[in-house]
Amino acid sequence: MVAPLYTTASGLLFHAGKILVCTVGLPARGKTHVSRALERYLRWTGIKTTVISLGDYRRKVLGGAQKLPPDYFTLEKSQETIKLRETVLQGCEQQIWDFFNTGGQVVIYDANNGTAERRNAVAEKFDKAGIHVVMLESLCDNEEIILANIRSVKISSPDYRGWDPEQAVQDYYARIKDHEKHYEPVEETTWPFIRIINVGEKIMVNNIHGYLQSRIVFFLMNIHNNFRTIYFARSGQSLIEHSYKADSDLSPAGWEYAERLKEFVLERREKSLQERGINPKERRLVIWSSARRRSHHSAWPFLTKNAADHSPPAKVKVIERPQMAEINPGVWDGLSPEQVRKYYPDEWERFVNDPYAYRAPRAESYHDLCVRLEPTLIELEREKEDLLIIGHASVIRCILAYLIGLPASEIPAIEVARGDLIEVVPTSYGVYSQAHHFWDGPGRAASGKDEHNFYENYAEDTQGKRRPEAKPGSTEPVPAVP
Amino acid sequence: MSAADTPRERPSPTLTRRELAAVDGVLQDVEAANKSSPDITITTTADVGTPPAVFGAGGPMYAPSAPSPRRGSLTSFGSVGRLKQFDQSNATSRIMSQASTPRSVVGIGGKGTSGDASLENTFLNACVGAKPDYSEAKIVLAMVGLPARGKSYLSNKLMRYLKWLEYDVKVFNVGQLRRSRARQKAQQSGKREDHRASYFSHVNAEATRIRDQLANDSLEMLIQWLREGGNVGIHDATNSTTARRRQIVERVSREKGIVVIFLESVCDDPAIIAANVALKVSSGDPDYKDMSREEARADFERRIREYEAVYETITEPHLSYLRIKNVGTQVTLCHIHGYLQSRIAFYLMNLHLKPRSIFFSRHGESQFNVEGLIGGDSLLSERGMRYAKALPALITDNIGDAPLTVWTSTLQRTIQTAQDLPYPKLTWKSLDELDAGVCDGMTYEEIEQAYPDDFANRDEDKFNYRYRGGESYRDVVVRLEPVIMELERQENILIIGHQAILRCLYAYFHDLPQADLPYIKIPLHTVIKLTPKAYGCDEERYTLPIGAVDTHRPKPKVPPPSAPAAHSGREYYAPQA
Repeated sequence: MVAPLYTTASGLLFHAGKILVCTVGLPARGKTHVSRALERYLRWTGIKTTVISLGDYRRKVLGGAQKLPPDYFTLEKSQETIKLRETVLQGCEQQIWDFFNTGGQVVIYDANNGTAERRNAVAEKFDKAGIHVVMLESLCDNEEIILANIRSVKISSPDYRGWDPEQAVQDYYARIKDHEKHYEPVEETTWPFIRIINVGEKIMVNNIHGYLQSRIVFFLMNIHNNFRTIYFARSGQSLIEHSYKADSDLSPAGWEYAERLKEFVLERREKSLQERGINPKERRLVIWSSARRRSHHSAWPFLTKNAADHSPPAKVKVIERPQMAEINPGVWDGLSPEQVRKYYPDEWERFVNDPYAYRAPRAESYHDLCVRLEPTLIELEREKEDLLIIGHASVIRCILAYLIGLPASEIPAIEVARGDLIEVVPTSYGVYSQAHHFWDGPGRAASGKDEHNFYENYAEDTQGKRRPEAKPGSTEPVPAVP
Repeated sequence: MSAADTPRERPSPTLTRRELAAVDGVLQDVEAANKSSPDITITTTADVGTPPAVFGAGGPMYAPSAPSPRRGSLTSFGSVGRLKQFDQSNATSRIMSQASTPRSVVGIGGKGTSGDASLENTFLNACVGAKPDYSEAKIVLAMVGLPARGKSYLSNKLMRYLKWLEYDVKVFNVGQLRRSRARQKAQQSGKREDHRASYFSHVNAEATRIRDQLANDSLEMLIQWLREGGNVGIHDATNSTTARRRQIVERVSREKGIVVIFLESVCDDPAIIAANVALKVSSGDPDYKDMSREEARADFERRIREYEAVYETITEPHLSYLRIKNVGTQVTLCHIHGYLQSRIAFYLMNLHLKPRSIFFSRHGESQFNVEGLIGGDSLLSERGMRYAKALPALITDNIGDAPLTVWTSTLQRTIQTAQDLPYPKLTWKSLDELDAGVCDGMTYEEIEQAYPDDFANRDEDKFNYRYRGGESYRDVVVRLEPVIMELERQENILIIGHQAILRCLYAYFHDLPQADLPYIKIPLHTVIKLTPKAYGCDEERYTLPIGAVDTHRPKPKVPPPSAPAAHSGREYYAPQA
C-alpha cells in the first residue's frame, strides 16, 4: 500500500526515515530520466520528494555553458575555477539541507558524483545527520542510448540555447569524454547502492533494506525510456450516464463514438509513428479498459478489422483491468447535486471544501482512487508498447496527474472531455502532452450536465478548470512541465 | 435470511443522524411530488418507506414508476425491475447503432459466465485478456543454500503469493523426491537406504551420484511441467556448488522461452539456524524416524557440515540471482529484470521471520445481517454491540502486552466493532466488503427473484461472478494485493473485516484454491488467529458465546469442501504423480 495512509503529523512516512538518493554516473546516462521518474512516483504516493540537480543549480547561479570559464569541465583546472566549483557544490548541498529541514523526506541529488572520494564526502555528511544514503548509479554501455540521449535531451538544455545543434553535440561529447577519464564506478560497498544499466535494462541492488527503499527498487526495476506514446480517451456515452451501479451499456451515440475513436486513434498513431520513421504495422497497440461495460465496449471496434470483417486485427491487444473502474460515488450514486445538498447537507459541505480527500458515505475519494490505481501505474511504467487507455474521467485524471506531476489536490479539477484524445509522450524531463479533439455529439460536456455523474466530475463542472494540454485541435506540442 | 420472510415483524433499524438527514430531504421531495397524487401515503414509523425514484438508478430516462413493493433501506439503490429492463435495452441500442458490435456481455456476471461459446466468443477470449502478457512468463527459480537456511520456507511462501496472484506455480522439492524414492525402494526390496549424514558427504561418491541424479530428475520434471503450461517452477534443492548451478543453466538454456534465476538464502543468525534445526528434528522427518532427538540433531548438524565443506556462495558474475540474508533483512539483486522477477524481489524484501500472529474477525452482527440483507453500511445489532464490548478482553487475554495494530474497513460496522479496542487503528478503503452493485441491500431471495439467471451463474462460478455494477471475488483478490504485501511486513495485526474480504485473506494464508475460496466459513463473532509457521499457518478459533445469524451460503448440491486442515506441517514426500 502506498504511503498516504501512514503519514504522520510531521508529514513523514513513519518508519522510513529520511533518505538521500545520490545519483552516480557519467553525463547522458539517463540519470535525469531516472531521477525525475522516481520523484514523480514518490510524490504521487504522498512522500515529500524533490530532485536537486547540480546542473540546474549551476545554471541558475552561473548561467549557461558559454558563461562558464573554459576549464570548468576539464580535468586541469585553475585555482579560481576550483574555488568556483566548490562554491556551487556548497550552495547546492545547502539546498538539500534546506529541503530536509523543512519537512522533506526524500532528496534525489542529481549530479555526476563520479569519484568515490566525492561520493563518500557527501554521504558521510548526511549519514552523520541520521539520513539514509543510497547510491543510484546509472551505467550505459550502449552507445546508441547515449547519443540518443544527447540529441533528445542535452542539446535542448539551457546550456546550449542558441547553439548550432551539431556544434552542441560536439561540445557535449567532448565534455563527456573528459569525464570518462576520471570516472570511478561504484565498487565500494560502504553505502547501499542500486545500479541501473541502460535505463532499467538490468538492475543490481546491494545492501538495500527498508520499506521505502524496496519500493524504490521495485519501481526502478519497471521503468524504461524506450519511445512510446500513451493515449487516453474516455469511454463512449452510456445509457445511464449518471449512475455507477447501473453499469449500463453504451448508448447508440456511444457506439458511434467508439467507432470514431478507433478510426481517429489509428489514423493519429500512424501519422506520429511515420514522423519518427517507424512502421506502424510493426508496433503493437495495447488497449486497457476497465471492467465496466461502457469502457470495454468502447474498445470492441478495435477488435474487428472493420464492420464487414470480424476477424481479429493483428497487433492489437485489449486488457481489461478491474482496478480501473471509475470513482465509486457510494450513496450519492444517481443523485443530482441539488439532491445531495438537500439530503446530505453536512457531507456536501465537506465535499465542496475538499473534493480530493473527502469520501462521501460508502464512496471512494480521489485519494482512495489513487491508492487503488497505484499497482496500475507500475504496469503503465513497464509497458513498452503504445498504450491506449479507454477509461473514465476520474481514472484518467489520476493517471494524468501522475504522468504530468500535478499535486494531488488538483486532480479533481483536471478537465478530460469526452471526444478528446489525449496524447502523452514521456521524455526525460517530464512528458509532452497534447489533446486532439475528434468528436462532438451526445455525451460531450456541452450537451447537458444532467447526464453527468456529478460526483466524478464535480470540480470540472464548477471550479477553475485546468487543462494540462494544448487547446483542442492544436498539434503544437506544449511541455507540460515548465 | 429467515427474517426476510417476515419483514413486517422486524424491529425498525436504528438510523444514524446521517440517514435521518437524508430521510428528511427525501421526504421533502416526495411530498412536493405527491401534492398532485394524494393517494400515496408515507408511513415513517414501521417502514422507512420505499426509496423514491430519485434513489433509483433510472433517473431521467424513465418516468418514476409506482413504488416497488420492497421496503427500503436508504443505502440500497436497485429498483429491481427497472434495471433488468436496461439490460434488455442494450440490444435495441446496438441494433440502432451503425457500429459493428461484437457480442455484448449478457447478464450481470460478465466474463466467463455466459453459456454460449460462439466462434466470436472464442476469438474475443483470445484477444481480450484479464491476465496480461507476462502470465506467459516461464521461470525456473532455483534455490541455493545450506540445509536449515529456510529454503523450503521461502519456496512455499513465494508459491503461495504467486499462486494467489493467479500464476501457475509449483515447488519441486528434491528432498521429497529422495524420500519418496527411498520409500518405494524399501517397499519393493525391503531394504532401507541409509540417509544419515554420510549419505550427504561429497566423499561418498556413490551417494553423490545418486543425489545428483535426483536433482536432475527433479529439474526434468520441473521443465516438463513448465512446458505444459506452468509459469514458475521452484527447484527446492541445495544447488550449493558452482558446477551444479552451471549444469542447471546449461540445461535450461536448451529450452526456448524459459529463464532461470537463482535465489540464495544465506543465514548467519545462529538463532534462525537453531530454530530451523530444532524444527527439522522435532517435526517427524522420516529421515530420523528411528533416532532420538539428540541423535537426530547431531546427525542433521553433521549433514549441514558435509554441505558446508563444498558450499560455494553465488559469485558467478553472469548469473541472474537474488540473495536474501536472514530472511528479508538484506536482499541483493543481480541481473534481475522482468516484471515477475521484480515482483518476486519486492515480495522477498518485505518478508520477515519475527514470530507474530494475525487475527481475523468479522464485524459484530449488523442490522443487515439480522435482516438477511447483503452489503450496506448499517450499524451493529444489539448482539453485535455485545461482541464489540467483549472483543477487547479476548484479544488482550491472547496477546498480553505485545504491540498490536487494528485494521478496519471504512464501513461503520467494522469501525464500531473496533471502537473499544485499546490499540492503534488504521482504516483501509481496500478492506471494504465486496461491492454487490445493484444487489446491495437485497436478500438472497430477492436477488434470485430479480436476477434468476445471474443468481444461477453465481452459484456456478462464484469466484468469477461479478455483480452488476459491483465486484467479483477475483476483483477483490486484485484489490487486496497491497494489503497482503503490507501484512507480510507487519507484526501483530488484527483485521476487523468482512466475510468476502476475510475469505480472500484466509485463502492466501492457507493456500486454498480459488474455487473453494468463496465458500470458506468465516462465522460471525469468531476470532481466527493465524500464526505463520515454517510450512504454513497454525490456526486457532475463538468463538464468543454471543449468538449471531449464520451468513454462510454453502455451495449448492456439491457438498461443501471439508474444513481445511490447518497444515503447518512439512510435506515429506513428493505428491504421487
